[in-house]
Amino acid sequence: MSLVETRPAAVVTVGASLSLFRSELGLTFRRARTITLLGILAALPVLIGVVIKSQTDGSGGGGGPAFIAQVTQNGLFLVFTSLAVTLPIFLPMTVGVVAGDSIAGEAASGTLRYLLVAPAGRTRLLAVKFAAGMTFCLAATLAVALSALATGAALFPLGQVTLLSGDTVGPGTALFRAVLIALVVAASLGGLVAIGLFVSTLTGSGIAAMATTVVLVITVQILDTFPQLHAIQPYLFTHHWLSFGDLLRQPIYWDNVLQNLGLQAVYVAVFGSAAWARFTSRDITA
Amino acid sequence: MVDQVRPYRSGRRTTARVLVPVGVVALTAAGIGLVPAMAGDSGPSLPALTAEQVVAKALGSDVESLSGTVKVKADLGVSAQLLGGALPGGAGGRHGGDQGGSQAAPESKLLELLGGEHTLQVAVDGPDRQRIGLIGGLTGYELVHNGSELWAWDSRSNDAVHLTGPAAAAAQQPKTPLPVTPQDAARRFLSLSAESTSVVVDGTAEVAGQKAYQLSVKPKQSGSTIAEVRIAVAADNGVPLAVLVRSTDGSKVLDVHFSQVSFAKPSASTFAFTAPKGAKVTERRADQAPAAGRTVPEALGQNASGLDLVGQGWATVLTAKLPAGEGSSFAKALGKPVGGGTLLGTKVLNVLITDDGRVFAGAVTPQVLQSAAGVK
Repeated sequence: MSLVETRPAAVVTVGASLSLFRSELGLTFRRARTITLLGILAALPVLIGVVIKSQTDGSGGGGGPAFIAQVTQNGLFLVFTSLAVTLPIFLPMTVGVVAGDSIAGEAASGTLRYLLVAPAGRTRLLAVKFAAGMTFCLAATLAVALSALATGAALFPLGQVTLLSGDTVGPGTALFRAVLIALVVAASLGGLVAIGLFVSTLTGSGIAAMATTVVLVITVQILDTFPQLHAIQPYLFTHHWLSFGDLLRQPIYWDNVLQNLGLQAVYVAVFGSAAWARFTSRDITA
Repeated sequence: MVDQVRPYRSGRRTTARVLVPVGVVALTAAGIGLVPAMAGDSGPSLPALTAEQVVAKALGSDVESLSGTVKVKADLGVSAQLLGGALPGGAGGRHGGDQGGSQAAPESKLLELLGGEHTLQVAVDGPDRQRIGLIGGLTGYELVHNGSELWAWDSRSNDAVHLTGPAAAAAQQPKTPLPVTPQDAARRFLSLSAESTSVVVDGTAEVAGQKAYQLSVKPKQSGSTIAEVRIAVAADNGVPLAVLVRSTDGSKVLDVHFSQVSFAKPSASTFAFTAPKGAKVTERRADQAPAAGRTVPEALGQNASGLDLVGQGWATVLTAKLPAGEGSSFAKALGKPVGGGTLLGTKVLNVLITDDGRVFAGAVTPQVLQSAAGVK
């Protein structure tokens, strides 16, 4: 290939990737299943908000989910409570469904070979599937956060926000931190998307891939609770998930957040390359 | 795109491509395993100083302001819940809630530091202004001392304790059972007398990006359960940056170190704490006895009388007398019987409750306690 040809080819490649990504997004988000999942995620903060509102004696005695004491003071905290509640189970479950189904679902319905007939390349198809998975993570997190924000604003006062370090900040700063937290939460699901994608390349059954991914999430979180496994726990992809709370301190305590993002990057690299190794070398029969 | 044209040769491709994820795993593992190992290999080179010079540097350090992150890891071989539960108004009563105590009471909260790993954000500006933030999972706990005021606040319950009065300055930081900052810890060990303690410089280290001298402090007396205390003293300004306590069985009992430190003056607003909106504030005067959440000796003192110290240096033993009957049944259920009483033992801390209701406690061997009690 001469240099003259390379440049237009690259432009064509980027353009083709983008259009493939767009069609993949359309495929993911137009699906009734995806819309239902997002709907359930959006309904959870409403449920939590109503429960807290109806039991509004306030103190809670220090028990219950995170930030309960703060939610009654400021509706914005419902965003953080909802994310803390949904992050261990609900968010990974929906992400597991979408990521696990991404390749295996196409294989099961017999559409995968048509995708590969188009001159897109397997590597690029995989990259596009991963990007669509990450977009779903962001959409799912935003569904929880926006619904929580709306519910919190409707049921509780807004205004000055007390951070976890006892400092008070204005609503603008607090909203900025909420956006930051939503982004961090979405990014911390990156490792799971890569795992789901890898599992998805192993099997031709979408249901099997989804179930495996979700079971993995739950197993890893159970392992994370055993004090005997203290040595390996920092390397479990769920271990630092709740570190997003450190963004609510003054000054922001970055250590755990950065560790979390670094760990997710490692998982994406490992399972992404494993998925690539598997997908680019297997025979597509369905 | 080109490879789409050729037919897939599944076998060879797979073996070649499987090497990629395996390589990524190996690279990551090497990065995690080797980088700290290489970094911890040898300390920075610093001009040689005698132990006396380093101790003088540490005790004479004139650094008044600093801020940073402190990691505290304590392993006394006993659960913090047990310790807290044994004390009236302690951490064990936390979930009871309404028994007049506040969840934010600093003394009970700081007892939690006795077990496990904790991260603290610390800011200090002279003797009158300190702030300690305890970083929990999704919770925070703040302790702010500013002149004649002391605030303690717990984010989980939104409870606050506000301590005011002339004595708040004197009481300044609440008496913690455990040194919270490396300075605190270092001062406790370095002020021990030369007859009882040997201090040598044992190499250098880098702590929180600062070059530091490593002091090795060992008891000369026998009878202590502490084998060695290692203190890292910053070469630049003499601030103790890390303290590591090892017990005689070789395990780490206490590890306090800065993971990040700055010697710039913290902004005044750091120490300007007011009760957050909606907080349940418990007001306390410093000169009154607090209703709940006493310091440890006070808490013991309410149930015991004649609090006293026996011995000196590393073999110091705290003694007290229990009111008749009280506590000894609790102790007998937990402890093991020894000559003259019941022994509650942890890795470092031993407590002897004699049959006639006296208590002896210290970081010493049971034999020292028994001889202090005169039972053997």
